[in-house]
Amino acid sequence: MFYLSKIEHKFALPPHLLARPIREAIQSELERLFLDKVIQKLGLCISVYDITSIEGGSIFPGAGAPTYQVVFNLIMFRPFPGEIISAKVMSLDADGVRLSLGFFEDIYIPTHHMPYPSYYISKNNTRKWTWEYGEETDEFNIEISNEIPSSKCELPNDSS
Amino acid sequence: MFYLLLEMKILEENAGALTNFEVLDFLRAKGASKDPSRVLAKVAMSEYKVYDYLVKTPAGSQTRESVKEYFTAIKQHDLSEAEVLNVLNIRPASEVEIYHIIEDCEERFPDEEVTEIVEKVGNTLPAPPDKATPEEITKGDEETETQKHDEISQDQTEDGEQMDTS
Repeated sequence: MFYLSKIEHKFALPPHLLARPIREAIQSELERLFLDKVIQKLGLCISVYDITSIEGGSIFPGAGAPTYQVVFNLIMFRPFPGEIISAKVMSLDADGVRLSLGFFEDIYIPTHHMPYPSYYISKNNTRKWTWEYGEETDEFNIEISNEIPSSKCELPNDSS
Repeated sequence: MFYLLLEMKILEENAGALTNFEVLDFLRAKGASKDPSRVLAKVAMSEYKVYDYLVKTPAGSQTRESVKEYFTAIKQHDLSEAEVLNVLNIRPASEVEIYHIIEDCEERFPDEEVTEIVEKVGNTLPAPPDKATPEEITKGDEETETQKHDEISQDQTEDGEQMDTS
C-alpha cells in the first residue's frame, strides 16, 4: 500500500519562512507542495518521510527568494492491482458502490466488478446491494457505513 | 502544479515498501494521537486522515517487537516479500483469508503449512483493534462454517453492529 519515493526538487523558498531553521522551513514548503496530491507514477503523497540533502540557497538575479535543490523521501499511497483493502461504503447506486479510505475517497466498484450475482435494490428510502452467494438466498448486504474487505482488480486513479 | 513538474525529478520511484505499521509509527512519532486536541501537533489534516484509517486496521494494535517476531517466524516459509507484507497488514485469522492473499496457495503450500502460517500470525501479531471481543463470539460459528463467503459475511455483521454502537 505504502512506498517510499525519492524525489529531487528545485524550488524557491518563500521569504516569510526564512526566519525559521532551514530544515523546518524546507519541510514546511515541501509539505505545502506535495501533501495530499497525486503524482503521476507514484501515487498519492501521504507524508514527507525525511530530507536527505539540501543544496543551493542562492538567489537568482531578479528573484525575491532563495532557490534550493532538495533530495527527500515521500511516503506514497500506491495500491497494486489485486491488493486487498478494507474500506468504508460511502454511497451506492445502480452503477455500483463507492468506497472511501478517509484519506482517499475515489474507490469505485462498478456493476461489472461486483461479486456475481449481485443486485441493486432500492425501495422505501433504503438502498442496498445484495450479493446472493450459496444455494439458498444467503444475502450479503452492502449498505452505507459497512466496512468491507475488498479486492481491487483495477487501478482507479489517474496515474499509470 | 505545472511549475512543480518542471523542476521535479523522480530519483527512485520505489525506494522501499512500508508496512502499515511503519507508516502509523511514523505518524505517531510526528505527534499524531487519538485525542481531540489535534491543533497542537505538527501533523497536517490529510496526514491525520491516514492516521485515523490505519489505527482501525490490524496495524493499529501492532508493536515493533511483535512485528519483529512475525518477520523471524515467517522467514521459514517461502513467501514473497509482497506476501509477507500483505499478511502483516491484513493479519488473516484463518486459512481462508490466506488463500486470498497468497497466490497459487494450494500449489505452493500443503494444508498443514497454511495452518502453521495462520498459527504463527496469531501468535506473533496482536488482534486487530476492533475485533478483540467479537472474535470470541464468532469463534464457534467460524468452525462450523465451510463457505468462505459466509465467513466474510459473519465478520461483516459483527463490524456492522460495531459501527452502529460506536
